[in-house]
Amino acid sequence: MTKLPLAALALAVAATAGLSAPAHATGAIKCDAGPQSGWKSREALESKLTKDGWQVRKLKVDGGCYEVYGTTPEGDRVEAYFHPVTFEKLYVARRGQVLFRAKGY
Amino acid sequence: MTIATAFPYPTPVAKLRSLLNSLPFFWLLLAIPGALMLAGWLDGAIDTMDMLHPTGETSARLMIAAMLIGPLTGVLGARRWLGWLLRRRRALGVSAFLYALAHLVFYVIDMGNLDDMLAEIGAPGIWTGWVALALMLPLACTSNNAAMRALGAAWKRLQRLAYPAALLTLLHWWWVHNGLAGALAHFAPLALVWLALAARRLQSVDAPPRTPKGIRP
Repeated sequence: MTKLPLAALALAVAATAGLSAPAHATGAIKCDAGPQSGWKSREALESKLTKDGWQVRKLKVDGGCYEVYGTTPEGDRVEAYFHPVTFEKLYVARRGQVLFRAKGY
Repeated sequence: MTIATAFPYPTPVAKLRSLLNSLPFFWLLLAIPGALMLAGWLDGAIDTMDMLHPTGETSARLMIAAMLIGPLTGVLGARRWLGWLLRRRRALGVSAFLYALAHLVFYVIDMGNLDDMLAEIGAPGIWTGWVALALMLPLACTSNNAAMRALGAAWKRLQRLAYPAALLTLLHWWWVHNGLAGALAHFAPLALVWLALAARRLQSVDAPPRTPKGIRP
């Protein structure tokens, strides 16, 4: 019966090793937008957002979408996802708290 | 020089061993990830925003490491390597706090103003982080011999704040990151060691006391 704590420990180590591997796929939202060659450019999204009153701090690709860190026209510091072809706003969150989610996403 | 006169003095290898095994060297090791992060940030290779994850994750790892040592000793009994770690537990705990403090500093730099910070303080992923850090503050401040002596029995009760701090750290990580996987992978060992300890305590309540080997009752 003294094996039980040891078995739990071994499991702990295994679980850590197994779960640590895919640590960096955050992807709150997935976009099915086809190959990147068909996407509109980052610059186009940034200038559109700036025109709309956003302040863009960082723009990157995540889960096949454009992910933007910045400030909304209303002044909220958020993380937002946009469709890379239509530039539709799909998801807005503040530190993980969902403020907006488009239908179907 | 004869062997007889040379022997009482530590050999260079022994000196190196005791240096590598010293507490200051352990502190130095704990500072290395932070130094690398800071160098990357000063260099411009790492954005301020991207300093948040590594500082926070390092803090959580050190906190978990510090909190594993006690229950591991309970599960495995006294072991040499656990004793070695036990002598370094304070260093692990205090550096967990220092990385958490760096995490806050980079958060403040990234946010840039108080209004933005106050605007999101109610977000579950944010207030949990603030409270976790607030709980760690008295722990770090009393992690010295003078405080241990002054507080006596209350010291241990105070240090139990590490448990709610760890829970809030887990929640902070989970909620701010929109995902449980990363946080859970880190906290799972702690949960499992606690389970193992609970199982062991349960066994020792059920089972009759063991007789030493070779002695028949």
